[in-house]
Amino acid sequence: MPNPTEKIWDHERQRRNQKLARAASALGASQRDKVVPADMAVQLLEAVLEPGDRVCLEGNNQKQADFLAQALTRVDPARVNKLHMLQSVLALPEHLDLYELGIAEQLDFSFSGPQAARLARMVGKGQIRIGAIHTYLELFSRYFVDLTPHVALVVAQSADAQGNLYTGPNTEDTPAIIEATAFKNGIVIAQVNELVDKVPRVDIPGDWVNFVIPSPRPHFIEPLFTRDPAQISEIQVLMAMMAIKGIYAEYGVQRLNHGIGFDTAAIELLLPTYAASLGLKGKICSHWALNPHPAMIPAIEAGFVKSIHSFGSELGMENYIAARPDVFFTGADGTMRSNRAFSQAAGHYACDLFIGSTLQIDLAGNSSTATLDRISGFGGAPNMGADAAGRRHASPAWLRAGEQARSQRPGIPRGRKLVVQMVETFREHMQPAFVAELDAWKLAESAGMPLPPVMIYGDDVTHILTEEGIANLLLCANAEEREQAIRGVAGYTEMGLGRDLRIVENLRDRGVIQRAEDLGIDKRDATRDLLAARSIKDLVRASGGLYQPPVRFRNW
Amino acid sequence: MIHSYYESSARARIAGLLDADSFHEWLFAEDRVTSPHLAILEQPAAFDDGVIIGQGSIAEKQIFIAAQEGGFMGGAVGEVHGAKIVGVLERAVRDHPAAVLLLLETGGVRLQEANAGLIAVSEVMRAILSARAAGVPVIVAIGGQYGCFGGMGIAARCASTIIMSEEGRLGLSGPEVIETARGVEEYDSRDRALVWRTVGGKHRYLLGECDMIVPDGIAAFQHAITASIEKGDDWSLAALEQEHQLLADRVKRFGACKDGRDIWRELGWADPDALAMMDNDEFVAAAQGHRAK
Repeated sequence: MPNPTEKIWDHERQRRNQKLARAASALGASQRDKVVPADMAVQLLEAVLEPGDRVCLEGNNQKQADFLAQALTRVDPARVNKLHMLQSVLALPEHLDLYELGIAEQLDFSFSGPQAARLARMVGKGQIRIGAIHTYLELFSRYFVDLTPHVALVVAQSADAQGNLYTGPNTEDTPAIIEATAFKNGIVIAQVNELVDKVPRVDIPGDWVNFVIPSPRPHFIEPLFTRDPAQISEIQVLMAMMAIKGIYAEYGVQRLNHGIGFDTAAIELLLPTYAASLGLKGKICSHWALNPHPAMIPAIEAGFVKSIHSFGSELGMENYIAARPDVFFTGADGTMRSNRAFSQAAGHYACDLFIGSTLQIDLAGNSSTATLDRISGFGGAPNMGADAAGRRHASPAWLRAGEQARSQRPGIPRGRKLVVQMVETFREHMQPAFVAELDAWKLAESAGMPLPPVMIYGDDVTHILTEEGIANLLLCANAEEREQAIRGVAGYTEMGLGRDLRIVENLRDRGVIQRAEDLGIDKRDATRDLLAARSIKDLVRASGGLYQPPVRFRNW
Repeated sequence: MIHSYYESSARARIAGLLDADSFHEWLFAEDRVTSPHLAILEQPAAFDDGVIIGQGSIAEKQIFIAAQEGGFMGGAVGEVHGAKIVGVLERAVRDHPAAVLLLLETGGVRLQEANAGLIAVSEVMRAILSARAAGVPVIVAIGGQYGCFGGMGIAARCASTIIMSEEGRLGLSGPEVIETARGVEEYDSRDRALVWRTVGGKHRYLLGECDMIVPDGIAAFQHAITASIEKGDDWSLAALEQEHQLLADRVKRFGACKDGRDIWRELGWADPDALAMMDNDEFVAAAQGHRAK
C-alpha cells in the first residue's frame, strides 16, 4: 500500500505561493500591507499571471474594473499570453483589445451588449475562441465547477490596508467571483476608488483578497435601468393596462421580475394610478427581484411595494434606496447591498412572473434579441424567463398557471411560472416583431454556434402581449392552436395577416385570445395622463428630492 | 388624474379649458382653408393649417380663442395660419368678448412661406395691440412642447397677460438658431439645462416677462386664465412707461450675466440651483421680492 504522504495534494497552492513570491519581489518596498500603487499594476499582473491562466476580469452589467482592464492590455505578451478570460459582461473596448494584442485567447462570457458587433467580427476572423455563451447563473456556476479562476481582477468602492472591501450599492458579481477564486487557490486583485482607514461595511473580508490597487480614476459605471417617462407612448400605456388587468390581476401576481425597457416602465408607472383604481394595491406586485428602476419610485411611495432585492444598483438612486430600508436590502452603513447571483436565483425560483420585451418572436413563441453581425449573448433573461422546473413551493399565481397548463395536457398536478413576452407588433424602423424564422438561425450558422441563440424558448412562454391583445399559450390545445394564437395578436405583420380568421375567432371565444375590449379596457382611456410620472423631474419630486438622476437625464 | 397641458393637442386644450360644449369653431374642416404654398412645395397640408380658432366660454365668460397645434410643422405661422389669428383679434375689436385667449405653441414663422409668414406675424402683433386698445384683454398661455419662439415670441409680449408653466419656453431666436448663428461656444443648444435656464417658465417669471406661472395641467391653466380675465388689462400710459423703465433697468442690472443662474443670484436667490426642483407653489412663494418686476 503506497504511503499517502508521498502523493502531492497541493500543487495549486504551491503554484499560488510561487506567484505571490514573484509578486513580492517585483513590488518590493512599493507594497504596503496589501496596497499596491497604481503605477505598479502592470508589474503585479506580469508576476501573478502565467500563460494559459483562467482570468476573471470583473465586467458587470453596470460597474467595470476598467483600470485593471487597461493594465492588463499593457502586460508583455511574451510573458503573459494564451489567457482564458471569464467575464459576465464584455463592455469595454479593452476587453477585446486583449485578443488583438495576443494576451488572451479564449473567452467564456454571458453578455456583450456594447461590444457585440466587434466581437462578431473578431470571431469571424478567428481572433477569439469562444468557449460558450452563458446566462449569468450558468457562468457563476461554472466558476465553481470547471471554470474556476486562477486570478480574479475585481472592483470595489473602497478598501482598507488589510484588503477588506466595500463595494457600495453596486456589489453585483463581486462576491460570486471572489468566493470561487479565493477558496480554490486563486489570487484576487481589487481596484478601488479610495483607500480608507476603515471601510463603511465589509462586503468582502480582507483575507479573501490578496492585493488592493487605488485606481487613479473612479471606476466606470453605467446607468442602465433609467427610462425617461417622457418617452413612454400611449400604445405602451395601453399594453401596460392589459398586462395589469389581464395578467397581474387575473393571476394575483405578487412576486415578480420586470425586464428592462419602456414597456415594463409603463406598467411600473401605472401601478399607483390605474392598478390602484382597480383596487389592486396589496393584491399584486408586492415582492420584486429587480434593479432599482427609478420608474418604481411612485409605486413604492404609494405603498404598493413591500420588498425589492436587486442584481445591482442604479446611478442616482443611492440616497433614495438608503432612505427606504423597509423596501430595499441595505447594510449597517445604510447603503444598498446588491448581489447578482442571489437575485438571479431569486428571480428564477421565487418569482411567479417574468415579463420582458424582445426583438423577434417566431410562430412557436421562441424569442430572440439576436441580430445578424452581433454576438450579444444572454445576460440574465433566460433564467428569469423560464419555468423553474425544480420549484416545489406553491403560490396562488403559480398554481393557477399550472392548472391552466394541465387543462390542455393532463398530468400530475404541478405549478407553472408565468413568462410573458410584451412587444409591439412593429418595433422601430417598422421591423416586424413576429417572423417566420428568427435571425438567430443565421447568426448561429455564420458564427459557428452549436445552437441558435434563443433568449426565451417557446415552451416556456405562457403569454404574448401586444397592442392587439393577449394570447394565453397555456390554454392552447396543440401546436396549430398555438400558432394561430400568436398570429392572432401579431397585428398587421405578415405573420398576423396570415392568420386563420375562423380559428382566431374561436380562440377569442374561448378566452385564449383577449382583446382590450374583452378585458373591459376602453382604448380611449389609454393616455399618458395615467402615468404616475411623466418626466424625470416628476420622479425626482415623487422621491422627495432623494433621487438624483445623472446629468444626461436632466433638463435642469 | 392631472391632464397635462404640455402633452395635450391644441384641440384637447380647448376641450379641457372651455366650458363643456361651449366651443364653436370658425373655419372648420369642411371649409378646407389650407395653405396655398405648401402644395406647391409638395408638403402635406392640414385642414386647419395648424391653428384652431373660434368662440366659447370659460367660467361662463364669452371669449374668442386661437390655439396653435405644435404637432403640425411645429406650430409654424404661415399665411393662412396667421390670417386666422388676425381674424379672431379683429373680430374681437368689433364684438368685444371678455377676452381673447391665445394658446401659443410655435417655432415662429413657417420658412416655407417666407415673406407671407413674416407679414402674417407682424399683422398678429398689430391686431393684438388693436384688441387691447379696444378694451379687450389678450391672454397668452405658453406650456406646450414646442415653446413659443420667433416673431410669435414678440407677439406674446404684446399681450395683456402671459401665463406659463415651468415646462413652457419663451424666446425670440430658438436655441438651435442661436447656436447656428453664433457658435456652440456662445450657446450649446443640446445643453438642456442651459436652455431651460435661459428660456424656461421659471426664468421668464423671475424676469417679469410672464405674469403668472402654473403647474403643468389644463385645470391650472384654466384657473389662471379665469383670474386674468377678472383682473383685466392695464392699458394706461403710466403702465407702459413703467414697463419701459423695467426694460432699461434690466439691461443695466443683468447685461453682463452669462447664465440664468447669475441673474437669479443678482435677484437675491441664495441657492439658484435649488430653484429647479421647487414645486410651483413653493417657487411662487419664494419668488416674492425676488423678481425683476
